[in-house]
Amino acid sequence: MSDLPARGGNAPAVPRPGAAVPRRGRTGSWAVDLAWFVTPLAVLVALWAGAVAATGVPTRVFPQVTDVALALWEMAVSGELALHLGASLYRVLVGSVIAVATALPFGIALGASRALSAFFSPLLRFSVALAGIAWIPIATLWLGYGDGAVIFIVWNAMFFALAYNTMLGVRRIPTSLLRSARSLGAGPWRLFWEVLLPGAMPSVISGLRIGLGYGWRGLVAAEIIATHAGLGYALFLAQTSFSTDVIIAAMVIIGVLWLCTDRLLLAPLERRTVRRWGMTSGEG
Amino acid sequence: MAVDSAEHTRKAGSGRPARAPAPLHRRAWLRLSRNSAFRTLGPFVPVVGLWWLIAALEVFPPAFFIGPDRVVVEFAELLRKGVLPGYLADSLERLAYGAGFGLAIGIVMGFLTALSLRVRKALWPILLFFQAIADIAWLPIVIVWFGFSLTAVTFVIVYTVVFPLMLAVVSGVEQVPRELVLAARSLGAGRLRVFWEVTVPGALPSIATGVRTGLGYGWRALVAAEIIVGTSGIGFMMFDARRVGDVSQVFLGMVVLGILWYMLDALILAPFEKATVERWGLVRGMEDDE
Amino acid sequence: MTALVIEHLEKTYTDAYTGDEVVAIGDVSFSVSEGEFVSVLGPSGCGKTTVLNTVAGFVRPTSGTVSVAGNQVSGPGPDRGVVFQNHALFPWKTVLGNVVFGLRMKGMGRAEREARGREYLSLVGLEGFERRYPHELSGGMRQRLGVARVLATEPAVMLMDEPFASIDAQTRRRLQEDLTRIFEERRPTVFFVTHDIDEAVFLSDRIVVLSGRPSSVREIVEVDLPRPRTWASAVDHPGFRATVAHVNGLLAEGEAEGTAADVE
Repeated sequence: MSDLPARGGNAPAVPRPGAAVPRRGRTGSWAVDLAWFVTPLAVLVALWAGAVAATGVPTRVFPQVTDVALALWEMAVSGELALHLGASLYRVLVGSVIAVATALPFGIALGASRALSAFFSPLLRFSVALAGIAWIPIATLWLGYGDGAVIFIVWNAMFFALAYNTMLGVRRIPTSLLRSARSLGAGPWRLFWEVLLPGAMPSVISGLRIGLGYGWRGLVAAEIIATHAGLGYALFLAQTSFSTDVIIAAMVIIGVLWLCTDRLLLAPLERRTVRRWGMTSGEG
Repeated sequence: MAVDSAEHTRKAGSGRPARAPAPLHRRAWLRLSRNSAFRTLGPFVPVVGLWWLIAALEVFPPAFFIGPDRVVVEFAELLRKGVLPGYLADSLERLAYGAGFGLAIGIVMGFLTALSLRVRKALWPILLFFQAIADIAWLPIVIVWFGFSLTAVTFVIVYTVVFPLMLAVVSGVEQVPRELVLAARSLGAGRLRVFWEVTVPGALPSIATGVRTGLGYGWRALVAAEIIVGTSGIGFMMFDARRVGDVSQVFLGMVVLGILWYMLDALILAPFEKATVERWGLVRGMEDDE
Repeated sequence: MTALVIEHLEKTYTDAYTGDEVVAIGDVSFSVSEGEFVSVLGPSGCGKTTVLNTVAGFVRPTSGTVSVAGNQVSGPGPDRGVVFQNHALFPWKTVLGNVVFGLRMKGMGRAEREARGREYLSLVGLEGFERRYPHELSGGMRQRLGVARVLATEPAVMLMDEPFASIDAQTRRRLQEDLTRIFEERRPTVFFVTHDIDEAVFLSDRIVVLSGRPSSVREIVEVDLPRPRTWASAVDHPGFRATVAHVNGLLAEGEAEGTAADVE
């Protein structure tokens, strides 16, 4: 499963003219960037408002922008928002921290040996395909309904994708790099921190992206099915009472949260490591 | 790049000086380990063995954990009753509808978006945002709109497939080396020709990844939707079994889902990639550590 | 008959980072006759590739004109095939598919274009590789294919942008000899950009030596070296060494001036 967009074949040895460099140069002004980001979304919201007003669709079915804003405001004031948001964030945080702490060492250990990685590669691919939502029935059976099961799902959804990509990343570190580090006197510990981990970084980051994507979806599904708090549960609750305004408010929050994760966590991580070092990484 | 991998192989080869006088059993092992079916399926043998052992020793209570033997028995039982084929057909039908519409819409919309820089820049944040609203979060509103129906499930799967695919097409088009476009134009290709002969194949590696990602998400969305909408399908079967505490059907469901995905991968996705992207040397083969 | 005429070419860029105006090409004029091999030589960053890109139609000049076979250049076209430094072969097409690409664009029939494609593949020594893909070829072979792909369309001018720069020294020598042989056999018009003095002298009929940025024509050097040429005969030929020394001197002078200007 090449979830990793590995490019090698057609990548020119010399930076392509007109590709990355000038674009980054042009985007020097962040205000222009922001405008390019906010304007389309604002237009979208305006279109939504206009369409609802023009077609006269019942707001029970398709709520007006103001209804959603009002629902959001009410949720915020009543403390419901904080409750659900807190529950969801807590689960994602715990689940992903455990996933990173377990998957990274595991993936690097597998990647360091050719035999191990050849053996585990099909197993991990199988597990990646299955990870996350398909585990919800068994997780709730084992751990009961509640935080435990949801955290398990988040961990499970991330673990395999992250371990697999880390392993691939380590396998792709050029042998010459390992040899030169060893000949410069690096021991196993040093090798791990100074060569294996940074060398696998592009792959690790795309593994994180994929894993968080699965984890986030797993979270929402698990919360709809198996809890009494969290954004997914809020969605479920609103659906049973046909409160479309609350449903859309919750969806918007979920979207914004993921964008924040991507922009505030993954993108800076990528910028500081992979981009800074001039290695490529999958944009996804 | 070809040169790199050639060098890589040479190095790996010279690292094994004992190659020529290898004893017979070692040579047989080497030949076996080259066989791709053995390499993919072989590792499952000890894992299933381990699973069996853990179940047989009753490390976990049998109400929570069962061995492969019970799964096989359950499989035969459900097959005999005709429950499994029915549910399987339902799940596959939903996936086929969802993936079919999703692929068609995603690829066409993706190229339309990608071809103009302005459109791309304007639509990019919207794409990101819709991609960010995890597909499953759409399920409640879709249920309100369409009821507990096939349409609701299909809508979610289409949604799941379309956005990763559009993003993949756009970034794929951006990745096409400019030099190739220039080369084609200086050889006399017009805009349409450049699109078909350079842009489309050049974006294919990224599209292939996008299809995989999209289907991977779509697959999960299907299971979640079946659990939540709860009328039929493998996801429904698993959750229904969980409700009555029948662990064997839950295990069976997971195994079936895993095998299905593997078949989808091995029979459709992988051959497609092998015939295009890998053949052209655009992606280093997955098992390239040989 | 002149194949290519460049008149008072100027190119100014706006720097993407600083927003400054950068003059890449000051004032360049020269022409290339039909069946002539002309190299453009200059210090790195002097804008010689920009000259080539302008001729190819990839870059619009700020002022001045480029005309090929009497027609003014306004965009890329099949009358000016380009051999790229990074070969720019289509990875998704076979060797044969790459060679016949230009012919297909012209609308030539399958049988005819494949026959022509094979002819040019054998000209560059790639017969037997028709069904391979570019990534299966060595660096030298890829560049041969790049040359064949352009020659097959029989352009008015073949533009070559440092085609051998990223190829190892021995292979490069072989490719240069092969290019000379092909040139002597077929007499295409070639516009060749390089920073390698020996290469320029060995291959060319004339060398356009550019000065550093903003570039202008420093001198056009006639190469007095009999054809057919081989490296073995060229290195011993007094004309070869004299020309190399002369060009070397021109470039060294330019550099000295450049440094002086920098100090100012």
